[in-house]
Amino acid sequence: MRVCEITEKYQTKEETPINLLDKIYESIEKDNLNDYISLTKNIAYEEAYQSQKRYKERKPLSKIDGVFFSIKDNIAVENIRMTCGSKILSDFISPYSATVVKRIKENGGIIVGKTNMDEFAMGSSNESSYFGSVKNPADMNYVPGGSSGGSAASVASNHTCISIGSDTGGSVRQPASFCGVVGFKPTYGTISRYGLTAFSSSLDTIGIMSENVKDANTVFQIIRGEDEHDSTLENIEKEKKRYKKIGYIESMPQIDKTVENIYKSRIEDLKKDYEFVKIKMDFIDISISTYQIQTMCETSSNLARFDGIKYGLQLKSGENLREIYSAVRGNGFGNEVKRRILIGTYFLTHKEGKYYELSFELRDYIVNKMDEILKDIDAIMIPTSLTLPFKFNEKMSSPLRMQFSDSLTAFSNLANLPAISINGGYAGKLPCGIQIISKRFDDNNLLEFADAVEKLWGENG
Amino acid sequence: MQLKNYGERMDNFIHTIGIEVHAQVKSRSKIFCRCSTGLSNEPNTNICPVCMGFPGTMPSLNVEVVKQAVKAGIALNCKINLESGFARKNYFYPDLPKGYQITQFKLPIAENGFIILSNSKKIRIRRLHIEEDTGKMIHDQNEETLIDFNRAGVPLIEIVTEPDFESSNEAVEYMNRIREILRYTGVSNANFEMGELRGEPNISIRKSRESSLGTKTEIKNLNSLKAMERGIEFEIERQTRILKEGHKVISETMLYNEKKHEVLPMRKKESVSEYRYFIEPDLPNLVIKENFVDELKKSMIELPEQKRERLISTYKISKNESEILTSEKSLADFFEEAIKDIKQTKRAVNFFIREIPAILNNKNIDISELNFTSSDFNYLLKEIDNESINLNSAQIVISEMIKGKGKPLDIIEKLNLKQTNNEDTAMNIINQVISENPKEVERYKKGEDKLFGVFVGLCMKKAKGSIGPAIINKILKKILK
Repeated sequence: MRVCEITEKYQTKEETPINLLDKIYESIEKDNLNDYISLTKNIAYEEAYQSQKRYKERKPLSKIDGVFFSIKDNIAVENIRMTCGSKILSDFISPYSATVVKRIKENGGIIVGKTNMDEFAMGSSNESSYFGSVKNPADMNYVPGGSSGGSAASVASNHTCISIGSDTGGSVRQPASFCGVVGFKPTYGTISRYGLTAFSSSLDTIGIMSENVKDANTVFQIIRGEDEHDSTLENIEKEKKRYKKIGYIESMPQIDKTVENIYKSRIEDLKKDYEFVKIKMDFIDISISTYQIQTMCETSSNLARFDGIKYGLQLKSGENLREIYSAVRGNGFGNEVKRRILIGTYFLTHKEGKYYELSFELRDYIVNKMDEILKDIDAIMIPTSLTLPFKFNEKMSSPLRMQFSDSLTAFSNLANLPAISINGGYAGKLPCGIQIISKRFDDNNLLEFADAVEKLWGENG
Repeated sequence: MQLKNYGERMDNFIHTIGIEVHAQVKSRSKIFCRCSTGLSNEPNTNICPVCMGFPGTMPSLNVEVVKQAVKAGIALNCKINLESGFARKNYFYPDLPKGYQITQFKLPIAENGFIILSNSKKIRIRRLHIEEDTGKMIHDQNEETLIDFNRAGVPLIEIVTEPDFESSNEAVEYMNRIREILRYTGVSNANFEMGELRGEPNISIRKSRESSLGTKTEIKNLNSLKAMERGIEFEIERQTRILKEGHKVISETMLYNEKKHEVLPMRKKESVSEYRYFIEPDLPNLVIKENFVDELKKSMIELPEQKRERLISTYKISKNESEILTSEKSLADFFEEAIKDIKQTKRAVNFFIREIPAILNNKNIDISELNFTSSDFNYLLKEIDNESINLNSAQIVISEMIKGKGKPLDIIEKLNLKQTNNEDTAMNIINQVISENPKEVERYKKGEDKLFGVFVGLCMKKAKGSIGPAIINKILKKILK
């Protein structure tokens, strides 16, 4: 479901927002992917009605008037439940809307519902959700990726046009790859995080998922920009530039052979239009450790607010404060979340937080490495994930193995670089994403390039 | 036993005290959101998703608070850091909405200041930083604990001294000075009773021959200066007793009990790493410009110490009188406005100091709450200055003004308090007094000089303030010659 296709249909009166919304809710129910945690039918129909009126008067609010959005369930929508995929927030109604949600609404976007996700965005398969796994629309036996698994599945199965997700170490790009859609993680500091439940505040970014690059770009231009609520935003836009020189990797340890073959053939497709330069990325192991330490430390602090005192799961049992806390947090959080909180607390306590401090040195190292690589080229192109989608329960038993799912994505969060995953092809039914990563705040040029690449690959079938 | 007694006699104990002050910063809105900091009778009304720590919310710094902190830093002779940073202090408590407090840790906004006490001792200020307040726990009759989050996110500055105090007196004087400075600069209302100024002393004692500091304890819940004084003294005694008995002081947080006037251990003191401090990722470093600081410096008014000295030299008043007048900036301002254009300053100053502080004390009010203005008082002082009214009548005028009975001019007219200083009237009155007291006149003429004063008094009484003593003196002398 593409943005310009449906808005064109509204204009020619071939379709109406309400009619399309009916069809969407019908297919969500029929397909039974478990991609949504909450459906926001009441506000959606109201918004669809208003949008329909505007189209009748030929006065649409914007390019996304009447366009359908699904919102990852860690992003706040006023008066709507926000669970973050967790039991601890399973009854929590947000009293306010995230800045991105406000901008979507102000521009006439219609919010279909809140999508399923790994608990507090911690996971790469959507299997850590309190609300159950999401099925991959490409093949129901496979995971959709994570943590924005519900978002990716909702776009891939036409249960929405656009989904807004969050990407801390690959949570938008990896599920986009697994479900065969576009997943864009902009530079940290371009889209307001206000209203996004913090997982790891120095790495979290809002991301956009769509059927094609053009739609992601359209939405990006609408939701980006300054916000008084988010002090970490920076208003930087780089000069327009056409990319020519692209970096690529010759080989990668632990990579799935099928993924490697798809990747290589896709590079071949582009060689007559772009110059390809071989690059070496020897910091992947370091980036995974750095990512683990930073996210776990920040998580232990970010999730401290869920104590059963003000909102969320409340358990009155307990002799004293400590018992109430451990009852609420012990019951409310899943194992993966608890594991990360405990390790993060340890890292911040042990040797007075030396590990966390050290992780910033490593992060600087990665920043410098990537800046060095990108100095003479416009962008790099690598697979999004080392593997194709895997089956349910395949990796759940081993948190360490699961962590390698972030191998090719986490470093762009650590280095604050924009990155986009677009579908590079299929192995049987299973999609395989290819990722383009470029320079800090060069998001617009990256999107233009990704759009061109997508078209070239499309021509080659 | 012998040895121990010997040691006791030989060793004096040295008390080392440092103080952490928390002051509520005067600002219309909270530090990281737009909620009001105003008083609210209803609990949990000045709150929003940000100060309640709802998921997804982020802090955005209120610039007013930065200004106030810089002003306080300047007034306390600190070095202002043009780049400072925020950190999270992590701990669990129900009144702490986010599970961490946003504060400044490694990079405070100001450091290395000082304050000088009346005994000329310099108290070094290690650092001054910005942070947010927590909510308030209320324990009701049913033994249930309620939480009011109106205070959560209210801006605070924390001022930390080096361990430079040696007695509770010094600590109390320091608190008074801090209070005065914060009120003068408008940084804080600094009312102890309202919890706007809170002081937490940390105390250690050691034998005089030992060079390293002893183990320190911290006292919390000191709600008044009296409490601070008693708390420190109690704690010094407690620690002395422990050391004398040959035991060791343990590092803990002590709680002052107001009713019993004693301090009891509350909990083991957290070490720094137990707070898991780390950089607040949601706030970039706070960078201020040199000229931002300069502008604030220029805009800042005279500080109490400077004002005290100026008043002494300008009005030729004593140090003590100057201290009374400068105890509040509003009082000093009122004074200076009231004394404007007065020729006989000595008399006016004395009159002012005798009357005004007493009124404020008796009524327990602030100068701004008086029923009359400084220009009303200035009018009255001018009337005294040019002898149109005597001091006794002026007192009557004041007591009427306090009751809100109108402007001094109206009161003087209504009660007919003006000294006409008419010589004929004076003559009449004097003649009356002389004829009514023939015996006394005789005695006076025989040399009982002190009776002159009695005649003046009788005349004044008859004149009901319409004639000044100078005139009566003059005429009476002539007549009785």
